[in-house]
Amino acid sequence: MDFELSVIVESLPALLEGAKLTWIITILGIVGGMVCGVLAGLGRIAGTEALGEEPHGIFKPISIVIRYISAGYVETIRGTPIIVQAMFLYFAFPMLVKAVTDIERFRIEALTAAVITIIFNAGAYIAEIVRGSVVSVHKGLLEAGMSLGISRFQLIMYIIGPIAFRRMIPPLGNQFIISLKDTSLFIVIGVGELTRQGQEIMASNFRALEIWLTVAIMYLIMTTVLAMSLRHIERKMKIF
Amino acid sequence: MSNIIELKNVCKSFGNTEVLHNIDLSIQEGEVVVIIGPSGSGKSTLIRCINCLELISSGEVVVNSISIPSEKGKIRQVRLEVGMVFQQFNLFPHLTAVENVAFGPRKARKMNKSKAAEIAKNLLNKVGLAEFENKLPGQLSGGQQQRVAIARALAVNPKVLLFDEPTSALDPEMIGEVLDVMKSIAKDSGMTMVVVTHEMGFAAQVGDRLIFMDDGRIVEEGKPGEVMKNPQSERLKDFLSHVKHH
Ligand SMILES: Nc1ncnc2c1ncn2[C@@H]1O[C@H](COP(=O)(O)OP(=O)(O)OP(=O)(O)O)[C@@H](O)[C@H]1O
Ligand SMILES: [Mg+2]
Repeated sequence: MDFELSVIVESLPALLEGAKLTWIITILGIVGGMVCGVLAGLGRIAGTEALGEEPHGIFKPISIVIRYISAGYVETIRGTPIIVQAMFLYFAFPMLVKAVTDIERFRIEALTAAVITIIFNAGAYIAEIVRGSVVSVHKGLLEAGMSLGISRFQLIMYIIGPIAFRRMIPPLGNQFIISLKDTSLFIVIGVGELTRQGQEIMASNFRALEIWLTVAIMYLIMTTVLAMSLRHIERKMKIF
Repeated sequence: MSNIIELKNVCKSFGNTEVLHNIDLSIQEGEVVVIIGPSGSGKSTLIRCINCLELISSGEVVVNSISIPSEKGKIRQVRLEVGMVFQQFNLFPHLTAVENVAFGPRKARKMNKSKAAEIAKNLLNKVGLAEFENKLPGQLSGGQQQRVAIARALAVNPKVLLFDEPTSALDPEMIGEVLDVMKSIAKDSGMTMVVVTHEMGFAAQVGDRLIFMDDGRIVEEGKPGEVMKNPQSERLKDFLSHVKHH
């Protein structure tokens, strides 16, 4: 078997460029995905006892609508492959815009489409993590908070939030790693992330072993960094 | 003296089952009312209606001149005046003892941090836990946790304290320390207290009134000594023969 270290050295700059892009898409994706996920996760249980007590008056129908919208979003994303979501956003969505409006030259950059796809995709799974953790907060703690006379917002911010967040960390770590690896699928819309860089170099020099080994190690390093940062956060939080 | 709590013809149903039937009850400011009764008789439901953890199905609850359900928007004001101590303590697990106690003054009463901490430390001192202020609930015994929970309820400076079987989850040797704290609150502060408990010694010693509930109704009430000595109904006689005397 011939294994040329020089092949790796030569392809390293391009691969690092790809890794950098992978990292950027991932970070933007999970930050946006967290925002999306917290909103949709809380949305799915809006107006239920998991967030204090059931609302009165006009807030009751509003909360039902919010629940349906959130559930629709989560189920749509979970029920379709991420690769289809990316293709839809990149190829189909601009056509849809063109058909519905008069905007002729509507286009989404491949990178933008990639980031948005990860945000919405991760958001749906994070929503389920958020919902599960919030629902698992012991009801007695909510009653203890409410009986002190605090508002629903304070209850969510200072009691439900911190307790639920502690439980979210392990599944979040899982989802962050999945999202990072999902960026490799954006090869289909031509984003120059790590997998695509590997593919292109491969196509020119046919050194599969060196290239895919290096690519794999780069992914492994990035996922390890993600996992370790989450473990760090987990350790820093009080044990209870 | 005026009535701080009034329940007028209160009914409460869960689904199709009515668990409180036409309850009328007036409690004066400073009164210590002890509620006893068999499991499932509606004791918890009754006191949870006072701080609106349960919303009544019909009738009226008036607490500190606020009428529920007609003034539903003022539920938080009711709760500011009505503290509650739970059987399972329900301390916030992510906060230390002193943070648990300071939480109410900080968030519900909007006090500044140092003022709230000062109040919390004083109260922890009062319940004999000064040296445990930086412990998390998980690091405290049941009795200690319940004393922190009592301090937490007191910290918002309520007019009424509700206790739902505060010693039932405790090992026998820790019951005394919690009852002692409750006795001193009753004696020193003139706090209005509604206590669901099976501790008949406590009822006799500090209770102004004893209420016996059965099947969602108030069956008997009166001075604790008299009610215990001369139970009128068969059900109370039967019940008293089953509870331990401390
Ligand atoms: N959230 C609820 N949903 C449905 N039924 C309930 C609920 N809470 C209480 N009940 C029912 O209401 C009745 C009264 O319950 P409650 O908890 O008030 O009794 P209790 O006197 O406090 O009993 P215990 O001594 O066991 O605490 C019981 O039959 C109980 O099953
Ligand atoms: Mg009960």
